[in-house]
Amino acid sequence: MAAVNAELRFEHVSFSYGTVPALRDVSFSLAPGERAALLGRNGAGKSTVLRLVTGLVHPAEGTVSVGDWDTRGRAPESLARRVGSVFQHADQQLFARSLRDDVAFGPRALGLAAAEIARRVDTALAALELTAHAAEHPYDLPPAFRKLAALAGALALEPAVLVLDEPTAGLDRPLRARVARALADSAAAGVVVLVATHDLAFAAEVLERSLVLDRGRVAWDAPLAALLTSSERLAPLGLAPPAGAALSAALDLPGRPVRERDVAHALARVAAARGPV
Amino acid sequence: MARLTLERVSFWYPAMGRPALRDVSLAAAPGEVIALVGNVGAGASTLLLVAADLAPRVVGGKIEGRVNFRGRGKGEGGRGIVLPTPWTQLSGMAFTVWDEVAFGPANLGWPRERIAGAVDRSLAALDIGALAARDPATLSGGELQRVVIAGIIAMEPALLLLDEPTAELDPEGAGLVWRLVRALAGDGCSIVVATSDLDALPEVADRVVWMEDGVVRRIGAPALLAEESVCEAGLATTVADVWRTARLGAPYPLTVAQAERRWRQ
Amino acid sequence: MTGGRLHPFTLLAIAGTLPALAWILPAPAGGAVTTAVALVLTLTPGASPGLAGTGSSPGWRPGLVVLRTAVLTAAPFWLFLLLLHDVPSTIAIGLRLTTMIASVVWVGALLPPGRLVEAMVAAGWGVTAAYLFAAALSAVPLLKARAQRIVDAQRCRGLSPRGGLGRRLRALRALALPLVLSVLHEVDERALALETRGFVPGARRTPLAPPRDATAERVGRWLLLVGCAAALAWRLAWRG
Repeated sequence: MAAVNAELRFEHVSFSYGTVPALRDVSFSLAPGERAALLGRNGAGKSTVLRLVTGLVHPAEGTVSVGDWDTRGRAPESLARRVGSVFQHADQQLFARSLRDDVAFGPRALGLAAAEIARRVDTALAALELTAHAAEHPYDLPPAFRKLAALAGALALEPAVLVLDEPTAGLDRPLRARVARALADSAAAGVVVLVATHDLAFAAEVLERSLVLDRGRVAWDAPLAALLTSSERLAPLGLAPPAGAALSAALDLPGRPVRERDVAHALARVAAARGPV
Repeated sequence: MARLTLERVSFWYPAMGRPALRDVSLAAAPGEVIALVGNVGAGASTLLLVAADLAPRVVGGKIEGRVNFRGRGKGEGGRGIVLPTPWTQLSGMAFTVWDEVAFGPANLGWPRERIAGAVDRSLAALDIGALAARDPATLSGGELQRVVIAGIIAMEPALLLLDEPTAELDPEGAGLVWRLVRALAGDGCSIVVATSDLDALPEVADRVVWMEDGVVRRIGAPALLAEESVCEAGLATTVADVWRTARLGAPYPLTVAQAERRWRQ
Repeated sequence: MTGGRLHPFTLLAIAGTLPALAWILPAPAGGAVTTAVALVLTLTPGASPGLAGTGSSPGWRPGLVVLRTAVLTAAPFWLFLLLLHDVPSTIAIGLRLTTMIASVVWVGALLPPGRLVEAMVAAGWGVTAAYLFAAALSAVPLLKARAQRIVDAQRCRGLSPRGGLGRRLRALRALALPLVLSVLHEVDERALALETRGFVPGARRTPLAPPRDATAERVGRWLLLVGCAAALAWRLAWRG
């Protein structure tokens, strides 16, 4: 599904807003198909990382590269061929007369052929189960659906890298599940998924790696599951284990699963071994 | 002596054929926390607007049934509602967070000392004292949401209506708001909150109202968040859901603590 | 002199007098003088961060940002005038428009809406009228921030600000429409929020920090008014 598979690399990246340092010597790399959660307190640098990936800002030191493209030489509209993004308040960026038209905006801006645009739009709408609303005006839908439409717009670019900033804020459980499924499908097709979020329940379902920023530096870069089952590591971030992981730890389930489905399976297995509960 | 009573209320938004609320009855006592749960379009937000006397008075539309509100004691304290998107609730007339929070009390015509006291207490309750001198237009979504909530509780309402108050907050902020809700209820405020943060409700809500398509399907104690039909609707707590998926018999535990107790038996 | 210390009504009086004089006094000399005064005023320290803060390009010293905004806002009008009129008319009208624009920008930079509302309420104006003024002034930084977010989002979807006229017009549509739509859509919610916070017609608001109104300033405002009337009378007499 993705046009190009590419690796996302940060090499010794530093960036400041004026005289205020935002990132210091940040290095990490994400391979195609990797799904990472970007965590940290407000002001730790998460938004800056996402803005660097999209080319809205360029590093003062170091390199940000998407595959063989160095972001320094490129404007955001050029990087849109490889990077799809959804920032906060994405529901305010919609303006077309129908959802379908708005999702088509990106592919159209890339100059694709009409048939290709139609295919991408249909696929993106289907990925977020918005096909039934395709002909409606964005502002006739609740803001939650507009957020999904913004995500569909990013998927329609068929990017190699997808960066999202708090994609589940304001979404209820069924809609969060839709986003989780869409991201999982994208990653399965080789897209790099990087999500800044504090919704750990959502992260547990669909993300596998965790990058924690603390005052502009990478404080932790390891599998997400290891972070989620450790209250001591989460507390300084102002976070707590999501219910599934907490249950897993409290009942000492083998393997300490964090995804709800996995916790349920482990629970069933242990219960069967123990006898009726 | 209910503070808020809705008796068989039906409500239609202007120019809409389908009612957004159908035959809804609900009573909230002083000091009670009622949680509205339901998926998008269930009518929770509309119910809050009706309870706040904004629908149909300001919003327009048609209403049937009775809505009754009694303030505290000698009629003190009105109704305050916190709407879901914080950035649309800034007054546009305050240059600092302190003035923004003082906006409501100032409009009530309180003397300045009373305003100052209420504002300082609200800022402390939402842990935003450090933001007092900041320009509201420069705040993040989470900070804004705390400021908006502070602005409403500074008015010392007798009935507090909250629509997704933790949507923009990180878990620490959400925990703070839920503890604040319990504290306000302890002071006699009635609180009705629409939320999708189901896992928090067993500790926060006295009663839960399950809404679907504008109708109240069930009202009961938070334990209803582990009932079979609620699980099917996707509105159970995570622990209840997991227990059910693992096919370990009903009744499903609501919280990790309850699950632990069951497990160790 | 820090403009921020003057009473809001004085600031408004000055910002109203300059354009009035620009239109009353004979062009182009009158217009030139008032434009010069208005532009010099934009250099007064004390401009609010809302207008002069984030987003200003690095090459400009902070004190010049308000001047820059005034000049850039006025520039397109000069272009339009050149298309429609001959040079003398362009200069005459252009100077008058520039005075108006510079005055408005100056007041917007110097006068926080909250202070204006406090002044109006303290002077006995109704709450709704005060809000109309304040909302107009405070909308600017909020809209600027949102416009920037929309520009960023559309660029990340591939929108290029470069290209031919057709392309640029389409780009403008992708930037202006979401801004307008999102603001209009929120109007209802904003109205509800104000209602619930007691901001209703007839509310008797407690002024939190009413601005001081020195006698000298009050006298000064009257003098400005008298001066405008005198200028008008002189102009009519001179004409007749």
